[in-house]
Amino acid sequence: MTGDLPPVTLRDITSCFEGIVPAEIATASADGVPNVTHLSRVHMLDDDHVVLSNQFFSKTSRNLAENPYACVVVVDPLTYNSYKLQLRYERTERRGPTFDHLRRDIDAVAALTGMQGVFKLRSADVYRVIDLQPVRAAVHGP
Amino acid sequence: MIEPEVAELLESPCALIVGTVDASGMPDATRGWGLRVEPDGVHVRLLLSSNAAVTLANLGTTARLALTATDVATLYSVQIKGRASNVEAPTGEDIDRFERFCVEVVHRIAEVTGENTEIIVRLKPPGVVACTVRVDEVFDQTPGPSAGACLAPVESP
Repeated sequence: MTGDLPPVTLRDITSCFEGIVPAEIATASADGVPNVTHLSRVHMLDDDHVVLSNQFFSKTSRNLAENPYACVVVVDPLTYNSYKLQLRYERTERRGPTFDHLRRDIDAVAALTGMQGVFKLRSADVYRVIDLQPVRAAVHGP
Repeated sequence: MIEPEVAELLESPCALIVGTVDASGMPDATRGWGLRVEPDGVHVRLLLSSNAAVTLANLGTTARLALTATDVATLYSVQIKGRASNVEAPTGEDIDRFERFCVEVVHRIAEVTGENTEIIVRLKPPGVVACTVRVDEVFDQTPGPSAGACLAPVESP
């Protein structure tokens, strides 16, 4: 899958977490039905964790309550290289600095798009990154 | 059957993302690279990256597949769910569709984002394989509180 591409860490791909190019997330229900949707932004928490915003009680949230694993693909907005993250849900935060940071980010996006009252942060969900791999394309940029 | 409005989006140069799952429940995500809604209105022929090894392995075991199509300008989105079969090498028509899809979706993204097409085209995979998906359900996936609402089960005509 990754061929001779070098290993990468979250710190190597911080530009993927600026919210410029939407990410995608796949989850699966307990009975094995996948779900896939876009994410406006993935936030890096530390070297081993990312945070996703939960705005709606969506199918993604329901799946993660049954099956803690998720797969996220992020794109570097400078090179358009893609990276696949395998995640395991760890915890939900509904207050504190991480929650406040995501809420400000979502409020800003909502204001820019005139969607105040529609996009409202319900929780900040923290995931451990259990694998990170570059996605090989026809051309992998520098 | 897949409604005409949904078929139009699916066959357009839109953002196609694909979710599958392995036998242990581990999900995987990749991108789709063009599709055709078959004349029966319940099957689609989907093109996937030939490098999407995990996705292709999952189709060989669980065969479960979800695909979300998004108009990159309006964010109008639908998700289809079903089972994939007949993973095979692309035909000449598939390769033509793949190349046309890449050109058109890259330009569509460039129009919306202002990004250089030479950068966006780096998303393009080295090749594709084709599969057939029997569509069971169609969901509204447009961002907002209605995302995830079932539009209709897909029944054979």
